[in-house]
This record gives sequence, structure tokens and C-alpha cells, in this order.
Amino acid sequence: MTTLLKVDHVSKIFGGLKAVEDVSMHVETGELVALIGPNGAGKTTLFNALTGVSPATEGTVAFRVGDEMVSLDKKKPYQVAKMGIARTFQNIRLFHQLSVRENLQAAMTHRYKEGFVSSILRLPAFAKQEALANKWTDEILAKLDLTDVADVITANLPYGTQRRIEIARAVATDPQLIFLDEPAAGMNPEETADLAHLIKRLQTEFGLTVVLIEHDMSLVMSLAERIYVLEHGKLIAEGTPSEIQHNDAVINAYLGGGVHA
Amino acid sequence: MHTVLQQVINGLSLGSIYALLALGYTMVYGIIKLINFAHGDIYMLGAFWGYYVINTYHVDFIVALLSAMIVTALAGMIIEYLAYRPLRNSPRITALITAIGVSYFLENGMSYLFGANTRNFPQVVKQHNFTALGISISNIQVLILVTALILMILLQLIIQKTKMGTAMRAVAVDQEAAALVGINPDHVISFTFGLGSALAGAAGVLIGLYYNSIDPLMGMTPGIKAFVAAVVGGIGSVPGAAVGGFLIGLLETGVQAIGLSAYKDAAVYVVLILILIVLPAGLLGKNVKEKV
Amino acid sequence: MTKKKLQAIACWLAVMIVGFVLINALVYVGVIDAFIENMLVTIGINIILATGLNLIIGFSGQFSLGHAGFMAVGAYATGIILQAMPTTVGFFVSIVVGIAIAIVVAIIIGIPTLRLSGDYLAIATMGAAEIIRVVINNMKVTNGAAGLFNIPQFATWPVVYIFVCLTTAVIVNFAHSRAGRAIQAIRDDEIAAEAVGINPTKWKLAAFVLGASTAAVAGSLHASYIQTIAPTDFGIMNSIAMLIIVVLGGVGSMTGTFFAAVVLGVLDTVLQSFGTLRMVIYAVALIVIMVFKPTGLLGRYEFSFARVLDRFRKKKEDAA
Repeated sequence: MTTLLKVDHVSKIFGGLKAVEDVSMHVETGELVALIGPNGAGKTTLFNALTGVSPATEGTVAFRVGDEMVSLDKKKPYQVAKMGIARTFQNIRLFHQLSVRENLQAAMTHRYKEGFVSSILRLPAFAKQEALANKWTDEILAKLDLTDVADVITANLPYGTQRRIEIARAVATDPQLIFLDEPAAGMNPEETADLAHLIKRLQTEFGLTVVLIEHDMSLVMSLAERIYVLEHGKLIAEGTPSEIQHNDAVINAYLGGGVHA
Repeated sequence: MHTVLQQVINGLSLGSIYALLALGYTMVYGIIKLINFAHGDIYMLGAFWGYYVINTYHVDFIVALLSAMIVTALAGMIIEYLAYRPLRNSPRITALITAIGVSYFLENGMSYLFGANTRNFPQVVKQHNFTALGISISNIQVLILVTALILMILLQLIIQKTKMGTAMRAVAVDQEAAALVGINPDHVISFTFGLGSALAGAAGVLIGLYYNSIDPLMGMTPGIKAFVAAVVGGIGSVPGAAVGGFLIGLLETGVQAIGLSAYKDAAVYVVLILILIVLPAGLLGKNVKEKV
Repeated sequence: MTKKKLQAIACWLAVMIVGFVLINALVYVGVIDAFIENMLVTIGINIILATGLNLIIGFSGQFSLGHAGFMAVGAYATGIILQAMPTTVGFFVSIVVGIAIAIVVAIIIGIPTLRLSGDYLAIATMGAAEIIRVVINNMKVTNGAAGLFNIPQFATWPVVYIFVCLTTAVIVNFAHSRAGRAIQAIRDDEIAAEAVGINPTKWKLAAFVLGASTAAVAGSLHASYIQTIAPTDFGIMNSIAMLIIVVLGGVGSMTGTFFAAVVLGVLDTVLQSFGTLRMVIYAVALIVIMVFKPTGLLGRYEFSFARVLDRFRKKKEDAA
């Protein structure tokens, strides 16, 4: 296995508050890793630091591009995305006035080129590129069971579908690594089961490396190959699901903190 | 040195007019996020009211000022009720266009009723110039500054110490939450319009005295300048509007004093853009970052 | 390209040609006199201005209030160049020069200001346009506050008509391409757009620059049609007039922009006879429409031949 993402001693400080403190972790190519921790442990802050949304105060992050590890420090979010890291958001952030198809195609902006002149004159080159984008989109829509709603404005779709569209949109960026920020939030058990299946497919069928933030412990334990546990901004444990389930520090963090796993 | 001080005095007089106007912009923006384009025309209404009562009833300055404030406060509240309240839940750009419509209505309605020509504002206060150390200051300038300061202090007291002021601050932060704790947002918004419009009305009477002439379109340019002042100060911030107003006033007179009066408007906008680039929320505004 | 799309394009071309022939015929038989022609040209120029502004506001979600500044750039480019080169070639050269200057100015203004959001951007772009106006007001070559007059007339109504078709095609095709999806994504959620690899600065600037260059074209046409220009023609109130067309038609709807430009153009002409009361009626009409139709006359509706053809085909299939 090769390391896809390497996080070294990352800290994030807001004013005087250390939201994330000296976190080091690694993600191997093809893995399905989970990041768990009680509310306010700094999980989303860490995601934001890794994806350039709100850069880390200290430490470095590196990502594999080909045979090289490239530093992500000082990279803007869109540059990080172009390099092959996609993400979803805790509070769904779709392009709500656009259709599902347009949402996905917007996410492909960096994957194809339509020159200004050929777009405004509708030259054959434009048609060719549009056809390409449509082909990619159709494939993803079919795989994620979204073909029926392809031309619906996303704001008009139910919550569970919107979650799926957000994942589809992340896939549309053609990533190697995908960060999922609490994808099961607000879902009923049935929807969560479907989601678990979908996340597994992202790994097996789409060949993606997945990093998952989740509160739903049964989901995490059934899916993740490796788990990192964050508490008060610090990494307190790392290991396989069974190791984590028996880790004293983790049990303490959850039960002691009054949060039920 | 003398000329600099002289310009500072002139700048502060003009600036206090901008500040009074900017306060209305900033309060309304703070509470319903509307750029009230018609605010400058409220100031024109105040000036015309002052003109009317002084000429017709021969009242003194204080009566003219207070009655103008009452009349413009009512005008502001009526405009809010008729034109803006129905649009409370509409896109913000719609409310903006409506405000522009109200502005056109006031400007052209006044031109239609009273003619578009410029009139001389009655000199209800005789002008005296005091000269000390080579600096000349007129009693009208003193009057403007003192009146503006008193009104700003009163406003600050209303906002900080009264129940209505607390309600205003609450609605500005979160209208729904304020409604949940028993505040009627409609009353508060109406009160805010009244308060802001009263200040604009006062500014109208003061400028009539200072510049001696009024016309139906007199509110356009100062209105925009005052809005710029509110943005420079940090829109939504009451002290910011005052600071911004004085700053723009000083800047304009300063640029004029060094012989670049042709560029005085450009200077204002250059400063505006520079400040926004460095401090996107203005001098005293709070920069709220979106949570991801 | 699919057959359906080609058919839709053919329909649009047919509409443009029929419109042209129709207006020509009406001019020929005298139904359209100089007065109405003036109205049509004004509507045409307003359409060019407002579609560009709608691209910036409605599609890329950037609230710009400085459109008159770019119009001034085009108008003065044409006014000045036509004095030295009063030929048709000179006219087209002046349009190109106007576009080029507008692009440069839009980039200079856009890079720092497009980072601002919402009303702050509006006020900054308004300020930038005022700076352009003050500069023009104080330059020798622009003849200062007096402006330029006796500009030769090359922008007759057929020229304006062709430019309306051209700029609209450019704007609409831009809006319905990769670029259009990118700017709409930024409008809906800038953070999410960045997270899927869209560079917000680049795409916002692209829309802003394109809108600015079409405004310059409108300025050139205005200068050479009206034949007199002065800095006061390009003030804040002119930017606001363009904004009114966009919002009245429906933000984000190009069809709405056309509709509103025509409605306002006709209203303006009809109200000419009312004298001073004209603007009062106009103001009341504006307030009433906004209060009763807050999303504009057409909301987000967009007319599409592709859709009409689809429906037509379905009916045929149903009948068969």
C-alpha cells in the first residue's frame, strides 16, 4: 500500500482556542478510514484545514500525485479539489437553483475545456465537450440511481436525495480521496443502511479512498477499516474498529463526556 | 496651520450632516438589510418642511427643527408601511428597487407639486462669524455641530438604555428569535425607520440653514455620500456611521482645499474602495465569516 | 450537436431575420416613424446593457452597480475615434477599442472588488464607475464636462438590431456553457463551488469582464446614435436604470430582461406627453410592480425553442 494523504503535526488555533492540536495521521490508497469524536472535538475543523477551506495554523499536509507527495499547505480549496480531493458538507451545500445534472457538471469544470469562442459560436468543439460532460454525468447518475431526477432543480428534492447528490457531485470532480462530513446526519435507519452500502461502493466500485466523519457508531464500526478518535482537538486513539471499541481512552471520552455512542 | 484648522472646522460641519444621514442608513440596514435609497429624499422633505413652517408660521429654529423631525419620522414610517413591509420576505434586490422607486416618487412628486427650482432657505438664525487665531467659525456651524452631537448622544441613549433600543438590537441580530421572546418586529422596524428619518429631517433643516438653498433633488448626492459614509464606517454600526460621516466630510473639504475640487467625489470613492479592500466590513463593522 | 439543438438554433435565427424584415417593412410603409425608431433603438441599447448586467447579477450573483462606467468607456472610445476617423471602419475600430479598454478597466476594478460580497460589492462598483466618470470629466481629450457633440451617426437602427442579436447570443451562449454553470454554482454556494474545483475569482471576473464589454458596445452605439455624449449621461442613476430593467424582468431571466426593456421603453414613450408627472407615474408603477410581483415580471422563466419543439413533438406523437 502507498500513502495517499499524510498529515503532520497539524494545529488549528482560533484566537486563543486550540481547536485542533498537533494531529498527525495518514491515509493509505484505497482505504476507508473514519474520524470520530464527541461533538466539538474538532473533526470538521480538521477537514477544513485539510481541504484548504480554513488553512492549518501549524503543521503540514501532503497528498500523493503520481509518485510524488505534494504539499497542500497554502493551496486554495479549488486547487486542492483539482488535485483529487473531494468533500461533502455537514449541512448540505448544493447549488440549489441548478438541476442535478448541472450540479454534477459544475463539479467537472476543471475536467474539460470549452473555449470562449467555441462556446459562444456553438462550434463543433463545444458540442463535443458538452457530449463528453454529459456522458460522464450520465454514468455517475446511473450508478447513484439519480437518473430519474437528473433535470430536477435540487432545492425541490427530498433531504436524503440531496445527500446522495452531494456525494455524486463530489464523485464528479474525479477525485482519488473523498471526505464525507457526517453523511448520515438526519437520516432514518433505513436511509442510513442505504448510505452505508453507497459508501462501501465508493471504495469498491469507484476505487476511491474514503475518509468519513460520523456520529453513527454502528455505521462507522461496520464500514471503517481504521478509525482515528479525536477529543478536544487531540488525537487520542487510532486502530481497527475492534481495537477502538475496547480502548479505555475512547470509552472514557464518549461515556465520560456524556455522549452516547 | 490656520487653513488646516479652518478646513477641519468646515469639514466637521459638513461631516455632521453626512453623519446624521448615515445613521439612518446604517440603522435601517442593520435591521432589515435594505439600502434605503429614499433616505436622502427624506432629508429633502425635512428641508422643505423647515422652509414651509418658517415662512408660513414664522417659527424659530428649534420649532422648525423639532417639527421637521416629527414630520419626517412619520413620512419614514408611512413609507416603510406601504412600500417596504409587503416585501419583508421578498428578495432583497426587490426591496432595493422599491426604495429607488420611492426615491423617484418623492423627488418627482415634490418637483411636480412645488416646482423643480431652487429656493432660498429663510435665515431664521442670523449668521455671525467668530474669528479667533485667524480661524473663522460661524454660529451656524456651531449650531450644526452642537445639534448633530446632541442628536447622536440621544440616539446612543435610546439604543443602549431604552427598552425599544434593546428590542432594536435584538431584531438586528435575529428577527425570528426576537419575535419568539415577544418582540414585535414590525413595531421595532417601524420605530427604526422613524428614528432614522427624524435624524435625516434634522439634517435637512440644518443644511438649509448652512447652504441657504434647497431643491427637490437636493437629497440625491448627499444621500449617496452618506451611504458611502455608512459603508466606510461599517454598515450596521451606529458609531461607525458617525465616524464615517465625519471622515467623508473632512475628506471632501480637504481635497477641495488643496485645489482638487474637481476630484472630490473621486477621492471619496477611492477611499471607499481602499477601505473595503483592507477591511471588507468597514472601519467598525464586524466581519462575519460563514461557518462551514 | 443533437438535431434538437440545431433546430432550436435555426428557430432563433429565423426569429432574428423575421424581426429584421418586419421592422424594415414597417419603416418602409411609414408605420415606424422617427419617434418610434428612436424608441426601438433605445430599447435595443437597453437590452444590450441589461442582458450583460443580468449575466453579472443574475447568473454570477455579483451585485454590480457600475455598469454605466463601462458604457461610458465605449461611448467615449467611439466619440473620440470617430472625430479622427469618421468612417464606417472607424466606427467598428472604435467599438473594438471600447471593448478592449472596458476589458482592461473591468479587470482592474474586478480583481480587488469581486472579493467583496453583496451590497459591499455594489457600493464599490458604483464608486469605481463614479471614478471613471470623474476622470472623463477632467480629461482634455473627452472635452471635460461639456462632452462631445456632432459625433457622426453610424449606429442606425439596423446596426443596433444586429448588435442586439450578436451580444444576446454571446451572453446567452456563455450562460449556457461550462462557464455559465461555473458562475451559477458560485452564485448558489461559493464555498461548495470552490470545494469542487471552481476558481471563484477567475469565473466571477470572466462574467464581470464579459458584461463590461457588452456595456461598452452599448456605449459605442449610444454615442453614434444620439451623436452627443457628456459625463452626466453615465452617472449612478444610469446604472440604476439598468438595474431596474434586470430586476423588473426577473433576476436571472434573459427573457425577462428583454420583456422589461420593451415594457419600460414603451412606457417611457407613452408617458412623454405627461410632462413632469411622467416620472411620478413611472415611480408609482415601479413600486406597484415590485410589491405585487416581487420576483419580477417573469420571475426565473426562460423562453426556449428546444422546449417548445419538445412539446410540439410530444403532441404529434400523442396524436399519432
